Amino acid sequence: MNRSWAFHFRILAVLAVLGIAAFPVYWMAVTSMTSSEELFAGSPRLLPDPAQIGTYARALVSTPLLTWLGNSLIIALGTTALSLLLAILPAYALSRMSFRGKLLLALGLFVTQMLPEAMLVVPLYDIFSRFALLDSLTGLILANTAFAVPVVTWILKGAIDGIPTEIEEAARIDGCSRVGIVLTIVLPLIAPTLAAVAVIAFFQGWNEYVFAQTFISDESLKVASVGLASFVGELSTPMDTVMAVGLTYTLPAVVFYLLVQRYIVAGMTSGGVKG
Amino acid sequence: MALRFQNIKKKFGDLTVIRDISLDVGDDDFLVLLGPSGCGKSTLLRMIAGLEEVTSGEIHLNGRQVEHLPPSDRNMAFVFQSYALYPHMTVRRNITFPLIMREHKWWFHIPLVGYLAKRRIETKPDIRELVSITAETLGLTQVLDKHPRTLSGGQRQRVALGRAMVRQPAAFLMDEPLSNLDAKLRTAMRAEITRLHHRLGGTFVYVTHDQVEAMTMGTKIALLRGGDIQQFGTPREIYERPANTYVARFIGTPPMNLIEAQFQGDSLRIGDRLLPLPETAPRGDDRKVWLGIRPDAISLTTADAADALPVRVTLVEHAGAESLLAFDPGSLRVARDEDGQSDIMATQSGYSGIVAGDRVGLTLDIAQASYFDIDSGLRID
Repeated sequence: MNRSWAFHFRILAVLAVLGIAAFPVYWMAVTSMTSSEELFAGSPRLLPDPAQIGTYARALVSTPLLTWLGNSLIIALGTTALSLLLAILPAYALSRMSFRGKLLLALGLFVTQMLPEAMLVVPLYDIFSRFALLDSLTGLILANTAFAVPVVTWILKGAIDGIPTEIEEAARIDGCSRVGIVLTIVLPLIAPTLAAVAVIAFFQGWNEYVFAQTFISDESLKVASVGLASFVGELSTPMDTVMAVGLTYTLPAVVFYLLVQRYIVAGMTSGGVKG
Repeated sequence: MALRFQNIKKKFGDLTVIRDISLDVGDDDFLVLLGPSGCGKSTLLRMIAGLEEVTSGEIHLNGRQVEHLPPSDRNMAFVFQSYALYPHMTVRRNITFPLIMREHKWWFHIPLVGYLAKRRIETKPDIRELVSITAETLGLTQVLDKHPRTLSGGQRQRVALGRAMVRQPAAFLMDEPLSNLDAKLRTAMRAEITRLHHRLGGTFVYVTHDQVEAMTMGTKIALLRGGDIQQFGTPREIYERPANTYVARFIGTPPMNLIEAQFQGDSLRIGDRLLPLPETAPRGDDRKVWLGIRPDAISLTTADAADALPVRVTLVEHAGAESLLAFDPGSLRVARDEDGQSDIMATQSGYSGIVAGDRVGLTLDIAQASYFDIDSGLRID
């Protein structure tokens, strides 16, 4: 009886937390499907008005939303691929090798995380202008990657630490090179963590605003985060359109997460060694 | 000589782990490196494999100097205590992995292409046959397509053995491979590894702290302590003629009793008893020695019997086939172990009727005894 009470209480608690997390998203959906007049009425709608579905169509037609989303996708995927590529070997080295300055390097990676984007935007602007990286998606990918790589490296290092060294030693004896060990043994074993850091890097690129706003002036290269903010006007903000675009903006990120999350499963290394 | 160590030394920073070890191991020998934790036995094995660098000295395998070679070029197979299987691969792939690595090219790392190439190697008729014979030998045929996490401890250890076998290596190296298994399975696997050695031949080097494994499996035992070899010889030599008091106490359950004695002409004085020395025993004028006598070389008589040592029984343990008896040495001086154990131990076959507190006489069969210097602990012949 007690157990059943505890079970029901847990379900209620989970639902409550879920409600708190999901309500803003639901409210976005309701707002996007509420007419402008009703939006500012005394009592707000609690259910979406199906007749207002046209807001989405208008947003797609009247704004370059698809271009913005396309640019954001390129940046997010680019940041993800480059971050993983650049972080795997340093993470392996930090985990498995001993060399002079290792601690300094590891702490240095941490320090980069302590600097806010806003502080770096001016020096980066200067550097990017010298290398002709302003007004280019490549420049944004590089800037976002620089911010993602330290986090990704630290998380991957933690995952590699969890692989028993005997498994690598067995591979060395079986004739595997260092690079071979990383590719054949380590990467498959940390696949869940790779999926997790891919999500982190993807959102770094997808959500980034300050660099995108500062480095891009060409309209055709605008990303969705900046595009969304451009609706906020001095005199009026079309809330229904903003929410419709905002909701559309979250969709690709959710899809990416759903694609990747099935790899985030525990217990990949179980069975290899006694324990 | 199949395997030769020449003045091997190993230091980790200022810590010396292996002092100066030289050994020759013949073809088809099963060498057991035996010793307590921290004696350097696993380090020595890892140096043979190439997983640890040698600080100085040489290792020769079949006449080839190997200590500077990477592990993959030494053609040795290693079985780990923790099995060290590849958890993301099937049993079949685990066993085939060393063979795939032999034909490995850089482009095997390209996704899909590499997958197909590895699969092609795995499905080659000769490799398939080798794997299926190995699996059959080890009783793994049913689990070839399963992942290690679904197997029992014994099966996992057999997969590790299979991975070692398919390579047909110049030497098998095993680092306490049975210590994670339960007692029953350990006995079965012990016999299996011994059979494997008989069938495959070649040099086996086996690390253990379990003297039963050492005595039953090894053709040669090197007993290590503190980075030094205490004795190197056949199990029988080590049991019957221990080189010093450490070896004498380490091998044998219960260990050899060490009782202070003194040579007096053709006799040996123990306490107030004077026992005639056999012809083969050493002599020494009034020299004090440790008399080493195995528990099974002690028989019981009445407390007042002539030539018997009168003692009081402190403990009787019945193990079924034999009884283990402990005695208070009284005025006799016996060597203490690090754990302070100082009773005289004896074994008797069957179920002993003696109980703790009884006074009995001990008759020592000193024809089977060993003698050690009282100060250095070294054997006297």
